[in-house]
Amino acid sequence: MTELLSPAGDLERLKIALLYGADAVYIGGKDYSLRANAKNFSVDEIKEACDFAHNLKKKVYVTVNIVFHDKDLIGLDEYLDKLKNSGVDSVIVSDIVAVTLAISKKIPVILSTQASILNYEAIKFWQSLGVERFVLGREATREDIIRIKRETNANIECFIHGAMCTSISGKCVLSNYTTNRDSNRGGCAQICRWVFKSPDKPDFTLMSKDLNMVDYIEDMINIGVNSFKIEGRMRSVYYVATVINCYRKIIDGLNNHTLTEKEKLYYKNILDRVANRDTVPQFYQKFPGVNESYFQDRMEVSNQDFVGIVLDYDKKNKLVLIEQRNYFKVGDVVEFFGPNMEEYTYTIKEIIDEEGSRIDVARHPMMHVYLPLDIELEKYTMMRLKLFDK
Amino acid sequence: MDFQLVHGKMRNKILITINREEDIKTLKELGINTYVYPLDGFCVGYPNTFLISKIPDNSYILVNRILDNKGIDDLKELINNNLNKIKGIIFDDLGILQIIKDLKMEKILYLSHFNTNKESINIYLDYVDSVIVSTDITKKEIEDIIKFLPDKLTLFVLGYVGAMYSRRHLLDNYAKFHNIPYQNELNITNTNHDFLVMENEYGTYFYHTPLFNGLELLELNTKYYFINSAFLSVQDIKDLLEGTSKLETDTGFLYQETIFKLKGEENND
Repeated sequence: MTELLSPAGDLERLKIALLYGADAVYIGGKDYSLRANAKNFSVDEIKEACDFAHNLKKKVYVTVNIVFHDKDLIGLDEYLDKLKNSGVDSVIVSDIVAVTLAISKKIPVILSTQASILNYEAIKFWQSLGVERFVLGREATREDIIRIKRETNANIECFIHGAMCTSISGKCVLSNYTTNRDSNRGGCAQICRWVFKSPDKPDFTLMSKDLNMVDYIEDMINIGVNSFKIEGRMRSVYYVATVINCYRKIIDGLNNHTLTEKEKLYYKNILDRVANRDTVPQFYQKFPGVNESYFQDRMEVSNQDFVGIVLDYDKKNKLVLIEQRNYFKVGDVVEFFGPNMEEYTYTIKEIIDEEGSRIDVARHPMMHVYLPLDIELEKYTMMRLKLFDK
Repeated sequence: MDFQLVHGKMRNKILITINREEDIKTLKELGINTYVYPLDGFCVGYPNTFLISKIPDNSYILVNRILDNKGIDDLKELINNNLNKIKGIIFDDLGILQIIKDLKMEKILYLSHFNTNKESINIYLDYVDSVIVSTDITKKEIEDIIKFLPDKLTLFVLGYVGAMYSRRHLLDNYAKFHNIPYQNELNITNTNHDFLVMENEYGTYFYHTPLFNGLELLELNTKYYFINSAFLSVQDIKDLLEGTSKLETDTGFLYQETIFKLKGEENND
């Protein structure tokens, strides 16, 4: 079965990802991770993450994927020991010093996309060192993946959703030159989303649209991709829940032959809506052209679809306790989605505040309110505005 | 720095990329005798590349593309059919290492932005003859690595340095979107940061400008010194080496250490 691999920026998002159907999560520690300014996990939190995941028979991978300078090596040996003792299932690395050190400690190694792997001979080199899994460069085409599988029988992880580097990963230091922030040690300032001037010419931009592989998931399963990776360790709980929920349903629907075209369109619409940029397939079937990039300034939109998260359910009084995340009111048609449930459409007839008073609007961020509901909902179920029919 | 003084000691240690065969005469006069030919079909960011048939026997070639399966197959065939041509190869993709590991040729690994620490370089030296040290680290860091690995390294000392390599055809798409004539080179700027962009069928390559002048690294004794002559004339090279050039240069990160954690966000848990 193809693994669904989710990002998680902190413990809450890790739990959400796993509960919503991810088979594994990848996280960053406080050091050595390419999202240096994300919240990230302490060693104690990594242990807690592993315990939580393993109880669900799921996995945790930890990124140790910076390009090391000499001084960064101080403490790496001990850190890898701590990761091993915490129970991590693999480390994601790109620098050969981290690869060989992890392998010497018998920690399974996933070669990061930072290593820019696009051919089978490169895989063979890393296999000779003992690397077990490979995150291919996002530039890998369908034919590249098929050939690599045929020549190496490697365990292959491919990105299927989220932001794209314009550069081949690991081959960009625009950030270093423009902001003095080292992109290969987690300081990337996303210079590929800047607008550049050129004498007597239109503004030059190089920003890519995001990746969305819904239309090719079935094909990627068939050609033997081992793990479907979602980008975004700095994304919100709602984003993680939504994307993982959609892909879980798509993959399961394909595996048990129940996914209809209408359902696929529904999930595509949901995924398009949750992204703040347009999403398209990129290199898989054709070379990216004009349609796969932006040529004006940032075209990013955010929406207020995510209106609440379930904290508890009162069986006796049939009330669901919601933490507000965006404005909603009586009369709104919303949709609940969560672990172990089909999407459930609901028209808000009544909102009750924590003092027991009826109110018309939940307008305050993070306020707690009750909604009368006949079906029992689990903690972490999400409530969003209903926009699409399934 | 008195290049002429260092020149005598270092002349056989400089590897320089070639733009035109006819430049060699001048380079010889400068005491530079080892020329690296950017291999046609296997390079990005080089306005002048050379078909293997045009490269003299016993030469050094440069392959800086990240190769897909077809690329690695094509290169494998080219190398096997032209072993007499290739004395040495400077390369980036580790798939190339896999195909040349048992061949008798000098192997110099240029992993662009990797090779920033002594341990990694030392590991790669089990497989190759030399490693080009990243230009993303400071002179102090380079010195520390040389102390650990004397006589094994190649230092990038002069020329435009790559800042980004995309597989996409960014200039072609840009021309198509704006309906303007296609040009495969473009100078771009944002907040006083300038880049020279060049595209070919294998991707788009960004060079940082001004060009990097690290000739002071010639004082550090090691195996080779690398000069990238892309977008430079042989006269430019001569002037730069003799210290008479009026071209704007900088020292890259030799004296400017990069950061990667922002202040105030280190303890955000």
